Amino acid sequence: MEIKILRDVLATNEAVAKENERLFGEKKVFVLNLMASPGAGKTSFILRTIEGLKDDFKMAVVEGDIASKVDAERVREQGVPAVQINTGGACHLDANMIKNSLALLDLDEIDFLIIENVGNLVCPAEFNLGETLRAMILSIPEGDDKPLKYPLMFTESHVLIVNKMDLLDWTDFDLERFKGVVGRLNSKMKVFELSCKSGEGVEDWIDWLKTRLISFRT
Amino acid sequence: MHELAVTQEILSIVLAEAESNGAKRIKKVRVRVGEMTAVVGDCVRFYFDIISRGTIAEGAEVEIENIPIEARCSACGRVYRASELDFLCSFCGGIGSLISGRELLVEGIEIDQSGEGSGNKDS
Repeated sequence: MEIKILRDVLATNEAVAKENERLFGEKKVFVLNLMASPGAGKTSFILRTIEGLKDDFKMAVVEGDIASKVDAERVREQGVPAVQINTGGACHLDANMIKNSLALLDLDEIDFLIIENVGNLVCPAEFNLGETLRAMILSIPEGDDKPLKYPLMFTESHVLIVNKMDLLDWTDFDLERFKGVVGRLNSKMKVFELSCKSGEGVEDWIDWLKTRLISFRT
Repeated sequence: MHELAVTQEILSIVLAEAESNGAKRIKKVRVRVGEMTAVVGDCVRFYFDIISRGTIAEGAEVEIENIPIEARCSACGRVYRASELDFLCSFCGGIGSLISGRELLVEGIEIDQSGEGSGNKDS
């Protein structure tokens, strides 16, 4: 006997993500879901972002790492509350993990929440967390062919951070070719070229984000 | 990778549906997977074989239908087949919006209500 079901497999995650989104909206919390490969510079990018915004906005960070407390400690040293989710080997964060982690944060005291997703360019793109903005980091040493290998991440992100620009001259990375491919995949994506090490280009990102945060708050 | 989480969700959907229909055994599970998802069909089958053991879905065939990526061009209005690596309109190069390709659906199941054949599980 045949039975029609037609049910979305990710419906459970989507439902929880919607709940998170509603809660973030109520509490006026702007949420950034940050995705990248291991070593692309997620943590130093977060530290740069904290540096640029912490005087104007109350921030917090949810760290989704596989099994470490190092990243959360580096964030707390900046005076920003951080919650560490140890996914215990899972390759992505899902909406329910975020929902559970929110119990450890006072949302009334937060304007801007950064979620550092697990280091991976594949799986996190599939799981909506209820975020306001999705950003990905690609660092120059990873190579300019990455959009062709992980297209979903490039089509699902609103912002692309090209990090480690200070290494451009030392690699074969073809920036024009890269931007051409990215444009064909996601013409609406906002691209920032910067170096978290030298600080070059970080200001443009901070200025743009500040504008988004202010318009979100009002 | 995350196919395990996806497969667990598929299994719980089909088990709930089968039980509410009085199934003794699930023979086939039909899944639709868009080309624009990060889900590998072979991984889903592999995990399904393992995690369905001891349930009425043990030994069920997992049939996966791949859904191509289609978009409608905002400039010329035509529907075109996009590739995973190039979203622009194949006719005029305009920007398109996705019509299909992001599906991840349990389409349906084939069940036995009589209990016949439940003794020869081909696991």
